[in-house]
Amino acid sequence: MLIKEQALLSFFEKCADGSVGAYSEVIVPILTEGQDGQTRLAPFSKEKTCILDGFRSVDPTKILYYMPREKVLPVETSNKKRIVAGVKACDVKAMQVLDTALAGEDFVDPVYQAWREDTVLISTDCSSTAPTCHCTILGGTPYAESGFDLNLSKLGDSYIIQTGSEKGEAFLKFLEKNADVQKSNDADVKAVQDNRKKMADQVAAQNKDLERSDNYPNLRKDMDKEWPVASETCVGCGACTNICPTCYCLILNDETKAQQFVKVRGYDSCQWHGYARVAGGDSPRPKMSQRFRNRYLCKFLFMQSNFNQLGCTGCGRCTEACAGNIDFRKVVKRIVDGVEMAVVD
Amino acid sequence: MQNPFEVIPAEIYDVKQESPLIRTLSLKPEKPIEFQTGQFMELTIPGVGEAPFTPSTSHFVKDKMDITIMKTGFMTEYVHQAKVGDKVGLRGPFGTNYPLDKFEGKDLLILGGGCGLAPLRSLFLTLLDEVDRYRSITFLAGSKSPKDCIYKDAAAGWKKHPTVKFHRAVDVVPEGEKWDEDVGVVTVLLKKSEIDPANNPAVVCGPPVMMKFGTMDLLKMGYKEENIYLSMEKKMYCGHGQCRHCVMGEYYACKHGPVFPYAQIKDEEAIWE
Repeated sequence: MLIKEQALLSFFEKCADGSVGAYSEVIVPILTEGQDGQTRLAPFSKEKTCILDGFRSVDPTKILYYMPREKVLPVETSNKKRIVAGVKACDVKAMQVLDTALAGEDFVDPVYQAWREDTVLISTDCSSTAPTCHCTILGGTPYAESGFDLNLSKLGDSYIIQTGSEKGEAFLKFLEKNADVQKSNDADVKAVQDNRKKMADQVAAQNKDLERSDNYPNLRKDMDKEWPVASETCVGCGACTNICPTCYCLILNDETKAQQFVKVRGYDSCQWHGYARVAGGDSPRPKMSQRFRNRYLCKFLFMQSNFNQLGCTGCGRCTEACAGNIDFRKVVKRIVDGVEMAVVD
Repeated sequence: MQNPFEVIPAEIYDVKQESPLIRTLSLKPEKPIEFQTGQFMELTIPGVGEAPFTPSTSHFVKDKMDITIMKTGFMTEYVHQAKVGDKVGLRGPFGTNYPLDKFEGKDLLILGGGCGLAPLRSLFLTLLDEVDRYRSITFLAGSKSPKDCIYKDAAAGWKKHPTVKFHRAVDVVPEGEKWDEDVGVVTVLLKKSEIDPANNPAVVCGPPVMMKFGTMDLLKMGYKEENIYLSMEKKMYCGHGQCRHCVMGEYYACKHGPVFPYAQIKDEEAIWE
């Protein structure tokens, strides 16, 4: 199936102003001013430029499902049906990590689950890259292959539609009723494949000097030698973990004022000194370099063993956000492959 | 599915000052709480916060629960201001328990110090409830000084069981305080043990440094790595293996622990900190 971009945006507009009902909020990447095609996630508005393709947004999709501050007891879900569109493959993959952690077999975060159920997730193929993008190093692709409800691949002034779930099938039917959805042909599918290959090659090309082995157990080594060097400019601000699409460490605050217990969860960061501190003041990771290293171990070893999936999807946001200009890719390459290279850009 | 953050309200019906820094809250939860000794609870002080503590009562008691808490930080400061009649909250139980089946018919050694005695009291009282299941129980308890000794009243009763031995040591006896038992770090009491170390289990709980040296001494005596059970109390925040504050390498202290056989975690980093 295929939809003209203009028809899709009109459909979003009708959803956002309430004239088609069913979905009361549409969140899309909105172009920021003067920053090389960077986008922020925000409600759809016809006054603003919505970029569904392009590259990943500044904020991770996680912030729409797992908010920086959210009441988890008592659960007060809005039951607001949402559309989140323009999600890139790295974020779709990250949502799968969060699903395992927050809505898995033995633990379900009720608020996360409610947002997940009430939202249609529409992914789009990347059509450009950010300098820090490196999904291909992690075995990923700049297009989603699973984990979405609906996927859109741009072709000229249209999007080729692919469904990825029952929810997506139902959504497509709804879309057909409310917008002009046409049939696509084999040539379109072929053209999408060509575009995808081109984008994957582009991501690989910009990372050609940063390719590395996947010998991640090497990250455990040299606690006192390599890691203090790699983390030299780290100030422990926690930007990397807060902006990471798979980091979900939480802090649970009690905000009870009356009889009813009230619990509010917020983001925590393993980069902060107080994170693992126990009563009496001891901490298992008192040095910055130890906390810095912990993030790498978590992404490449702990999440792999707990969730059977790497905790890094190659979005590159941690590198972009780093106050110390530390390039995540270079740290991993330096330590995993033992290559002498500067990690600060 | 039940909300994992659900809190069970409980009322404080008694407060006992065990030592200048340690007090025991006796709680009556709104509904009975089934736990296995060694597991922990999250205690909420409304409007202040919550923190993990281990019950110090037998797990056969379900409608009441004692929790012994040392004043050591922000949250426990409020615990020490709590009064009889105050409402608090409990979540849990969480984590692993002491494997009582493995202690059955054995000579069990319990080594504890300071506030680490709280979970051990729960274990000890649970064992006493079925004292015939075990060949013998030796409880070695350490404290900083005589006034820091906790559970003073109960100790006399514990010594009456023929298969139970209870020894105490204090690190120092300041001038003016009376003490007629052992003096020294708690591991000095190990020489009183007549247990065959090769085939019997031991349990260790206490401050990190005590656990480290306690474990090393037990290994030297001939205890097997898989027979030494450690209560690795970390910053167990959510209780569900989610928030990651308590991770020890790949393990979560709240989910895979807090009770670990030493053999399971000996290669993880920074376990004693």
